Amino acid sequence: MFSKFFEWYEKRHDYARDWLTKNDGEVVGCFCSYAPEELIYAAGHLPVRMLGSHEPQDVTEPHIFGMYCPFCRDVLAQGLKGRFNYMKGIMLAQSCLHLRQSFTSWRNHVPVDYAYYLYMPNKVQTDHARSYLAGELAKFRRSLEEWTGREITDEALREAAEVYNESRRLAHEVYDLRKGPNPALTGLEAMVMVASSFMVDKKEHNAELKRILPELKERRLDRETGARLMIVGSEDDDTEFIRMVESVGATVVTDDHCTGSRYFWNSVEFTNGDILSDIANRYVDRPTCPTKDFETRSRFPHILQLAKDFNVDGVLLIQQKFCDPHECDMPPLKEYLNENGFPTLFLEFDVTVPLGPMRIRVEAFLEMVGEEELF
Amino acid sequence: MTENKQEFWRWSEYNWRDENKDWREGNIVTAGIDVGSVSSQAVICVDGELYAFNNVRTGSNSPDSARRALEGALKDTGMTRDDINFVVGTGYGRVNVPFADKAVTEIACHARGANFMAGNEVRTILDMGGQDCKAIHCDEKGKVTNFKMNDKCAAGTGRGMEVLADLLEVPVTEIGEMSFQVDEEPPPVSSTCVVFAKSESMALLKDGWPKSKVLAAYCAAMAQRVASLLESVGMQEKFFITGGIAKNRGVVERIEKILGVKAIQTKFDSQIAGALGAALFAKTLYEKRQAKGVA
Repeated sequence: MFSKFFEWYEKRHDYARDWLTKNDGEVVGCFCSYAPEELIYAAGHLPVRMLGSHEPQDVTEPHIFGMYCPFCRDVLAQGLKGRFNYMKGIMLAQSCLHLRQSFTSWRNHVPVDYAYYLYMPNKVQTDHARSYLAGELAKFRRSLEEWTGREITDEALREAAEVYNESRRLAHEVYDLRKGPNPALTGLEAMVMVASSFMVDKKEHNAELKRILPELKERRLDRETGARLMIVGSEDDDTEFIRMVESVGATVVTDDHCTGSRYFWNSVEFTNGDILSDIANRYVDRPTCPTKDFETRSRFPHILQLAKDFNVDGVLLIQQKFCDPHECDMPPLKEYLNENGFPTLFLEFDVTVPLGPMRIRVEAFLEMVGEEELF
Repeated sequence: MTENKQEFWRWSEYNWRDENKDWREGNIVTAGIDVGSVSSQAVICVDGELYAFNNVRTGSNSPDSARRALEGALKDTGMTRDDINFVVGTGYGRVNVPFADKAVTEIACHARGANFMAGNEVRTILDMGGQDCKAIHCDEKGKVTNFKMNDKCAAGTGRGMEVLADLLEVPVTEIGEMSFQVDEEPPPVSSTCVVFAKSESMALLKDGWPKSKVLAAYCAAMAQRVASLLESVGMQEKFFITGGIAKNRGVVERIEKILGVKAIQTKFDSQIAGALGAALFAKTLYEKRQAKGVA
């Protein structure tokens, strides 16, 4: 049922190249889920979030520090290896230092026509963030207009926001089908469903979701649900890991990842006022990345609510190695979830994860949270 | 290298059996097979009591190691594999134990085994195995409540100790004792990598350090390494150490000193904790399946 999403995810470059032959726009690579894709989409381009390939590589060493996270190195490697050689534009909405290094190295060492750095405020917990970001979006809009010589109208922005809102609504519908005792889809399918939405024209992605939803609502998976797990942490599109977890007696029923629920959780709320302000508010109000979650840690109650709503038995806390913002959150988050009755297992991710050692940890965790069959 | 160079890392395989017990008088016979990265153990329990065990080196083939371990435990008992009601496999080769009825992780098994060996007051277990070490918390039943494994590094493991035994030409079983034959405790060697620690030890030997002093520095590094693992999960008394390194007092006593906690001493062989826990789980699982009428 999810074969189209897997195809998009696995053949992302083929899709983008094909899109370019059929459309009068460019592919614009985005470095973070804070990228206001609505603007790029309204300009007639295809916004694509760049993810890694999960292959060991040796091309980034001269460009990026060894103690920067494996994800940002993996992303940069894709550019240095020429995997995105069809892509003319890149943009970063500021979140963390590591990804910014990938962006600047890409700008300096991979040929692109257009590179835009958007000052996405880190302190979103202040009202100034709203007007500030709206102003930054206006600058980004002008910059995109200058690049292609095409005007981006308010109407086009509104339409783009509606397409994106529909995508978010549909993703929620799919996630809702994971709340019951028999989730209609696996965590792997959910992961690929969201990750592929980074790579495909949202209209097309929406159409496919609408096509499968009636059938999905009736679907009974031919497998034991086992322990219901949630994954929380840094960027994560490690399909091999989640496949392994779901092969040893568990189902991942929800997540808090920028490549998962954080990406689509909230929508643009239209006020009939300035459309850029509406879009800005959406990015200020979305479930935060830890880089932007201060002074109050607003993520924690949100994560707890997810764990409760999806009836979770345990939480996998995963972190890209050296991802400082997430690492700082892990000890208090672990304590917070444990105090609220949710056991946790912390795992550190690299470009590739050693499945054997990860498996023993996951299996032991499942024995810990599972029924008392052994006692 | 001479052809008949002694292998100092090689420890002897052995088995044991409770000669005062007749297994035929028992009701439930269960076995636990722990196929570890370095050694494999088979434990046979009769009605939840330790009856026999065998400890062998793990070969390149996990099923063979499992078979060999069990055959050694069955030796001279008159028991055959068919007499065993339920077998649980554990250890890194747990899914490759051909005759196992179920696989359980060694983390759960070590906690269960430790609970049997050292009593139900045990809350923190340190399993120092061949290629990894684990800090485990458990409750009064021996059920795991939290755990942490070493990652990215094999310092603090049995394999590291074997490497050093070979380098220094000291039998691995004598390392602990010899490491205390120093006037004062030297600073520890590198505690982050077995290979670096070995290079460092070679340099110390070249500098004229006696073997005992190098061993002290190495045991101290290993103790420091696992103590930090234990501290990261938190030390709750009572404390028990399982696995092969538990037999090395050079490491154990240094861990105790760093943490300020004494590990419980028992009559049992620390290396069989995983297989013993597996055999005990086998009994529970067998009884539950009998009750359901499916065994």
